[in-house]
Amino acid sequence: MTRKYDAIIIGAGVIGAPIAYELSKMGYKTLTVDKLADAGEGSTAGSCAIVRAHYSTADGVAMAYEGFKYWLDWENYLDHVKDEKGLARYMNTGSLLLKSQGHDWKKVKKNYNEIGVKYKELTVEEIKTMVPVADLHEFWPVRRPEDPTFYDEPTKMLEGAIFCPEGGYVNDPTLSAHNIMRAAEAKGATFMFNAEVVDIRTKDGRTAGITLKDGTQIDAPIVVNVGGPHSFKINKMAPGVWEGCNIKTKSLRHEVMYCPSPDGYDYLNDGYHMSDGDVGCYVRPEVGNTFLIGSEDPACDPKEWVDPDDFYAGKGGLGRDNVLTEAQWQAQCFRFGKRVPDLPVPNQPKGVVDLYDCSDDWIPVYDKSDLPGFYMAVGTSGNQYKNAPVVGRMMAELIDACEKGLDHDKEPFQYKFKYITRSTNVGFFSRKRQINRNSSFSVNG
Amino acid sequence: MKLFVCVKHVPDSAAHIAIIDHIRIDENISFLLNPYDEHALTEAVRIREMNPGSEVIAVCLGKADAEKTLRSAMAMGADRGILIKTDKRHDSIETALALKTAIEQDGSPALIFTGKESIDDQGMQTLFRLGALFDFPAATNVVRLDIVSGKAVTDTEFSGGVVSTYEMSLPCVIGAGKRLNTPKYPTVRDVMRSRKSPIQAFEFSDLNMETPKARMEVIELIPYIQKRQPKEITGSPSEIAQKIVEILKNEAKVL
Repeated sequence: MTRKYDAIIIGAGVIGAPIAYELSKMGYKTLTVDKLADAGEGSTAGSCAIVRAHYSTADGVAMAYEGFKYWLDWENYLDHVKDEKGLARYMNTGSLLLKSQGHDWKKVKKNYNEIGVKYKELTVEEIKTMVPVADLHEFWPVRRPEDPTFYDEPTKMLEGAIFCPEGGYVNDPTLSAHNIMRAAEAKGATFMFNAEVVDIRTKDGRTAGITLKDGTQIDAPIVVNVGGPHSFKINKMAPGVWEGCNIKTKSLRHEVMYCPSPDGYDYLNDGYHMSDGDVGCYVRPEVGNTFLIGSEDPACDPKEWVDPDDFYAGKGGLGRDNVLTEAQWQAQCFRFGKRVPDLPVPNQPKGVVDLYDCSDDWIPVYDKSDLPGFYMAVGTSGNQYKNAPVVGRMMAELIDACEKGLDHDKEPFQYKFKYITRSTNVGFFSRKRQINRNSSFSVNG
Repeated sequence: MKLFVCVKHVPDSAAHIAIIDHIRIDENISFLLNPYDEHALTEAVRIREMNPGSEVIAVCLGKADAEKTLRSAMAMGADRGILIKTDKRHDSIETALALKTAIEQDGSPALIFTGKESIDDQGMQTLFRLGALFDFPAATNVVRLDIVSGKAVTDTEFSGGVVSTYEMSLPCVIGAGKRLNTPKYPTVRDVMRSRKSPIQAFEFSDLNMETPKARMEVIELIPYIQKRQPKEITGSPSEIAQKIVEILKNEAKVL
């Protein structure tokens, strides 16, 4: 028997689950399918789940600032649903953006002013009182340890920082997706796991449903691709969709490291999220009083584009699969070790390797497609976790408007934010856009 | 005092280990300083700090790439390194003899440290063979070391948590256990400082040692496949917690 739904969402991660939730609230009968065993177990699980407002575009800042309000209001957002696994927690550490040549911080400041993000400018001395373990010399340009000039002594000091008291991270990204799944189920949504999509079926030129690996066919006039690092493969299954995108996506391998905090420094409780373009790293606290050290994709680092199926199957080999590499371990830890000279760097690399669903300009594609009934929330480029609840609402409204006849390509849908007084032109995230040269072309978005 | 620390360049335990031709592992993975040797180094550095004028020398038998492990040892506090280069696999008999020869060529040891085992072969033999070759006493899985009146007093832990205290004459061989200390990991400053520390590297053949009469050979490597039998623990959170405690006590016997 063929099952029928109003909408099928492919991917039960932190972006897919809220789309299901919002569509269900709007009365759509939804099915979310995922090839893994539970919600948030794909690349969501590898997310650093950082909540910060600094983006290189005003729309990016607006969406992140709106997202922040959802995380603060998590139980209300979930409509007080019970999750047997407990609720994810938002940890408000405050967020430091160091003023450096590695960030266009003047542009960020302008965006903050435009959106109304609360912030304070700090001198080097003020940063030092907040982060006593930091060495605030300028280390620019970002280099790798194999570069003979890597260890050169710095001579200049940084200019200071922009501090947002509103910012931090979510303690368990997988759990946050699970929470949203439970909230969606309470509104009638269905989730199906261990279900890999192998085909997008069409009828009379529009979306008709999906076929799973075991041959099961499920029908729905709407299919939403939220496949994360697999999203480009799913777009290719739908006739004309991949070809109709001017902005393409592919999966990029990324490593995040854990180093213990220096003796005597309680980073877990006293520390801040920090974006440090001067050494090409971002950090946030992690349990066990450790620094979680991510890379801001400096130009000197090689980019590893991988096949997501090979990667997750561990078939890629050294440096291609999901094991940290010694070279990148040293690059990230030693770079950040310049900022925190007492940072202990263990001999055995410890951390997380996962994939970004990376778009050509590191800005996501939240859009319809050239195939009627087929939508996509893809190309999240490692920087959209914080926006997930906003994206859920925005995509649901976009889908609803398009299904009711809006020609979004001609007259882009305007999404009105729930918390901040502003609308955003969803056409900003169009698949048809030209590459956005305002982007940082990095995880900073 | 010359404090020698024998270190081994071993595969990262987090790497995917693949066996090739039933006899060797695919070495296209990360190698690093054997984790037990980190405890050995940390202890040697502690003893050096208490005995001004002492020197910590890391000794390694391995491929040219093992220089990285010696650099790690020096970032953790070793003053210099000795690398005996070889592309061959050596059994613990030959390894102990090579280490002994290299140590003797460098000088007289006051103490020799090793990890209690290497995480790749887990043979736990080299340190005893080294002690026998030197005619030094040896203790393994040492969890406390004090140098008192020219003697080494050690607590040695056996399975089941039994601890015996030994008094050994010096020089002696100490096989460091995990509970001996908390390794002090290097900072970038330590890495920078040790980058120019000297490593004396030479070929295995340069040791001019006799081939031992006895030898051991690995004839086959068989991957260990864990047979997992998952059971779901159900009930209220407190019932689940109670059941977990019972399993840890009665089945796993770790509580």
